[in-house]
Amino acid sequence: MSVLYGLYRPDEGELLLDGRPVAIESPRQAIELGIGMVHQHFMLVPVMTVAENIVLASEPRKGLLLDTKAAARRVRELSDRFGLSVDPDARVGDISVGQQQRVEILRALDRGAEVLILDEPTAVLTAQETAELFKILRTLTAEGKSIVFISHKLGEVLEISDRVSVLRRGKKIETVPTEGATEESLARMMVGRDVLFRVAKEPTEPGAPLLEVEDLEVTDDRGLPAVRGLSLQVRAGEIVGIAGVDDNGQGELVETIAGLRRATAGVIRVDGRDVTAADVRGKLEAGIGHIAEDRQRRGLVLDFSLAENLCLRDYRRPPIAKRGLISPKRMNERAALLLDEYDVRGGSCESLALSLSGGNQQKVVIAREISEDPKVLVAAQPTRGLDVGAIEFVHRRLLEQRDAGRGVLLVSLELEEIRSLSDRVLVMYDGRVVAELGPEASEEEFGVAMLGGGQREQV
Amino acid sequence: MSTAVTARRLDPTSVERPVLAGWGGIVLALLGLWLTLPPVLVRTPLPSLVLAAVAAGLGVWVVREGQRRLGWGAVVVAVLCAVGAVAATRSGQGNLERVIVWSALAAAMLRFATPLVFAALGGVISERSGVVNIGLEGMMLVGAFFGIYGTDLTGTWIGGLLIGMIAGGLLGLLHAVFAVSLRADQIVSGFAINFIALGLTGYIFLHHYGDQGTPEGLPQVPDISLPIDWIPFFGPALDRLNLLVWVALILVFLVWLFVFRTPAGLRLRSVGENPRAAATVGISVYRTRYLAVIASGMLAAMGGAFLSIGFVHSFSQNMTAGRGFIALAVVIVGKWRPVAALAAALMFGFSQALAQRLPVFSESSATLLQALPYVVTLIAVAGLVGRSTPPAADGVPYSKE
Amino acid sequence: MSEGEGQASLTVASRLSGYLRGGGVIAPLLTALIAFFVGGLVIAVTGANPFSTYKAIFDGSGLNWLFPWISHDDRTTAALNLQQTLITMTPLLLAGLAVAYAFRAGLFNIGGQGQYFAGLYIGVWVGSSLHGLPGFLHIVLALVLGTLAGAVWGGIAGFLKATTGANEVISTIMLNYVALWVGVWAFGLGGPLHSDHDPNVPISNPVVKNARLPVFWGDPELQGLHVGIFLAGVAMIVFWVLLNRSVAGYEARAVGFNPDAAEYGGIHAGRTYTKVMLVCGAFAGLAGVIDILGWQFAVATNDIQNAGVVGAGFIGIAVALLGRNTMVGVFFSALLFGALINGTSVRNLDPAVFPPELATNLTLIIQGLIVLLVSAPVIVTALYKLRPRRTRPNEDAPA
Repeated sequence: MSVLYGLYRPDEGELLLDGRPVAIESPRQAIELGIGMVHQHFMLVPVMTVAENIVLASEPRKGLLLDTKAAARRVRELSDRFGLSVDPDARVGDISVGQQQRVEILRALDRGAEVLILDEPTAVLTAQETAELFKILRTLTAEGKSIVFISHKLGEVLEISDRVSVLRRGKKIETVPTEGATEESLARMMVGRDVLFRVAKEPTEPGAPLLEVEDLEVTDDRGLPAVRGLSLQVRAGEIVGIAGVDDNGQGELVETIAGLRRATAGVIRVDGRDVTAADVRGKLEAGIGHIAEDRQRRGLVLDFSLAENLCLRDYRRPPIAKRGLISPKRMNERAALLLDEYDVRGGSCESLALSLSGGNQQKVVIAREISEDPKVLVAAQPTRGLDVGAIEFVHRRLLEQRDAGRGVLLVSLELEEIRSLSDRVLVMYDGRVVAELGPEASEEEFGVAMLGGGQREQV
Repeated sequence: MSTAVTARRLDPTSVERPVLAGWGGIVLALLGLWLTLPPVLVRTPLPSLVLAAVAAGLGVWVVREGQRRLGWGAVVVAVLCAVGAVAATRSGQGNLERVIVWSALAAAMLRFATPLVFAALGGVISERSGVVNIGLEGMMLVGAFFGIYGTDLTGTWIGGLLIGMIAGGLLGLLHAVFAVSLRADQIVSGFAINFIALGLTGYIFLHHYGDQGTPEGLPQVPDISLPIDWIPFFGPALDRLNLLVWVALILVFLVWLFVFRTPAGLRLRSVGENPRAAATVGISVYRTRYLAVIASGMLAAMGGAFLSIGFVHSFSQNMTAGRGFIALAVVIVGKWRPVAALAAALMFGFSQALAQRLPVFSESSATLLQALPYVVTLIAVAGLVGRSTPPAADGVPYSKE
Repeated sequence: MSEGEGQASLTVASRLSGYLRGGGVIAPLLTALIAFFVGGLVIAVTGANPFSTYKAIFDGSGLNWLFPWISHDDRTTAALNLQQTLITMTPLLLAGLAVAYAFRAGLFNIGGQGQYFAGLYIGVWVGSSLHGLPGFLHIVLALVLGTLAGAVWGGIAGFLKATTGANEVISTIMLNYVALWVGVWAFGLGGPLHSDHDPNVPISNPVVKNARLPVFWGDPELQGLHVGIFLAGVAMIVFWVLLNRSVAGYEARAVGFNPDAAEYGGIHAGRTYTKVMLVCGAFAGLAGVIDILGWQFAVATNDIQNAGVVGAGFIGIAVALLGRNTMVGVFFSALLFGALINGTSVRNLDPAVFPPELATNLTLIIQGLIVLLVSAPVIVTALYKLRPRRTRPNEDAPA
């Protein structure tokens, strides 16, 4: 779709618009041809107002100056016409993700888009916002606009589309009418074989609580409350999943448990010991392992060798370091063992972390965290951006940790992952745990809870 | 989700009172210092010390309330004012009256601030487009040299100013080639610009003028005489300022208008905040950044030209002496806004004006006071930088792929 | 598609890492060659012959001493010149280390000059007072205190960055000017450290004979080569061990490449910045003391003001960048710049070939070009086909 929008040029082949071949060399030209795009990562300027974002690059003028009143008027007319309500004078950074998406759609419509491409538009939305988006999309098609809806969520595709094209590795596999298609039939086309996502899991009997969080309160980077009086427990030999829509305080919760962020109130205990005030090192020593959400930003120093990355947590302790000096020999020896044990491919001790694939990078992170012999392993989005093989590896390792009697706290935006791995699931909404569900609970139950609709339960 | 966000943002009024108290403390301390200076000239430090103590107390309270930066700021200002007040009451009344002539200080402040204002406006435009321009110093320097060299060649200061600006623009172009097209590290490439400018101006200066220095009696940018000397304070401060001082003040307004009120300014800011977003609506990120950096070079060069053909009337090697770097600090302290940058530039201008007039007290300590503007910059950057947020893409190279 | 955010947190160190790592010796050699080529164009524009100018500069640097075919008389001259080149090189090497160590931690230390001044001032103060102290003790005391003074001056910038977030680029530049004016004041007429013997010359007291660094090659009266270069050699080793083998160096490099990951490893970025700048300041401060105890012996305020523009601390930036912030690289690029500066000095460059006063500025231009070329790793990569290093699989490509 980047080719369609002129961000990349095609190597070969041609594009037809209304039956005529066109060459799209720039976004500007795509806009002129009536192609609008709603990107997965919104292309908005957070510090500017909604109106400024929408009129950007086709501004109404008053003499030499920007006509802000006309801009706001234009936005209001558009939003009335298509039924997408937004406040033209609000700063984009202050409005919700769903509304930001409306701004993107409005901007495309403002430029006279006839074809609207939406790239994974529901990835960041709640179910309710998704429903609203679908309503909007139906209005648009009723107005005669064409919509390309790109998604890997089959249910949504089936709900909103008229025809479905399945792409695999840059090739179109098939285009079928939505009527008659099922999730299974589409999934088969996508992967080329029948898939069954199930993780074999033995039931275990959880032991003593290893991680206890009580009435935790944490603020985000802007100093606003992100975690608001949250309590949870992870016992030995169980995986506790935290489900929820993105940005409901999960990140702050994990960072606080890992010692990267300070709690403003509440208590964190590991194996009965109060470690609320401990920093990263203190938390680590207390027995908290942490698979960070963003391995490239947090989990690894990409320009470091694998051996150096593997000792990121204990570089200053024997056997790696003695009297302030690091022994490269001991560092490499241990790294070689770990790389072997965790089946890291594509690099040796000396290779740089950035030369590995995402899956192997994650193996390095997991190897390091597990080798620290933690009591509790906090895994934040541990399979984000990984391929199927690597996902399986990660899942297997997490289960191993559980079976070895450690506690695992799994935070993920992938409900499927949470449900297949966890023994218990806590649903987080607006900085609180709003529900505790068994992994077998229905999707509807989860959906309601993730939108804050569930009763708040004491955990 | 949306309700959660808005609910979180509505923070109640608890912040307000400490902020008020902090600024109130600063004002009180300054008032105390002012009492001991002409024209009031209270000859005992007691009232000032009381005011300073109150201010410091307020500061401590503000720190306790969580506004640490402001609170400590108030404490520091209180201490400085107390020291200043004691010093003032101990020094001779005559000396004080010679140094603290407010209108003359104001005029000198404007003169010293002018080169900073030009360069800082350049910095604002460049950084608003997402390119850090640490080469401002070098661009000022070429402006200063080619300003006077051009005046010598063409025989008019207008020609000199234009040639100086072209030279600054070319240096801006060089910075843009590296910072934008080659995606260089902008701080390193900007610093290289300074080396090159220093070598180039020194080279041509010595090659052309040798030991003689620039010739005397070259045309200069004229002063503007206003018939307003009968107005108290403003009259003597403003009645004979250089044309470029006024140009700088007008440019502050024009740049503000441009950045915040025109379509082109909107595009400029969008490129500096989120270049990819700007590109997807059809704005050329490269073109915008090129133009911004070139404009920034031309503005900085005007500041330099003011030094050589509007102020000092000669050129010497490295005559900008770090003013470009101070201008960078002005941009930061001014939070990337033209008018706030003007205010910051005036503060630095005042410290320079003061340093220039203080030799009355002691010849040798006056040398030490030459360091004052740099110390002020240091304190300002340390004290304020945490609070000001640069454009989101400032300093980040943009690549199309 | 998922991880597009990483870009913004890239540091100077990681952005330059392509250059710093790739290309072996060839990339810096090419960089220097291009810079000298453009410098040659500048010479040609002025009407001089670039080849004979560079030849004269080379001979003036004394590097021809290394050629076995240089005959007896020329050899004596060459030896003298080489001694001067090595004396010039010593502070450049140390200042280069001061900049390089900061770069590896993601900091841009422009304050080498101020830290050098701090060492210089304390060095001359200690060296010119305390008469009667045994020579060795006097020298060690001056060296230690001067180095500490540099460390403190550098540490201020690190501390300010750690506590208030003040950008080290601006704060180090400001500290340079503050150091400069403090020196001009202290050693100037009426200043507290002004000479006791020369009431009309703005200069310090001279370092006492005992406290001067011994000369081991050449005539002490003719400014032979003093032992400072060995101290610089020791500093090189300290630099290497600190960076590559110590816990502190691991922390510095981790913060330099990725402050977020460093924090995750339990490293406090702020504390690391302060420590790193202390070390940098120590290197630059040592350069200052060595200069004062080795050959300057007294500080004149004019020299301070000149050094404020073209001093060792500034040239150290080009030295570090050209030397790719490694120990060996910094050594060779310090030698190059030392040779260049000495070869273009008034004493060595024949005005008939090229006016030496222009040559100083030529050196500045060449320095600027080198720094400019180094700033854009793309150029180096294009010049010298590097192995494709950022081979990230598609799934992780920034969106």
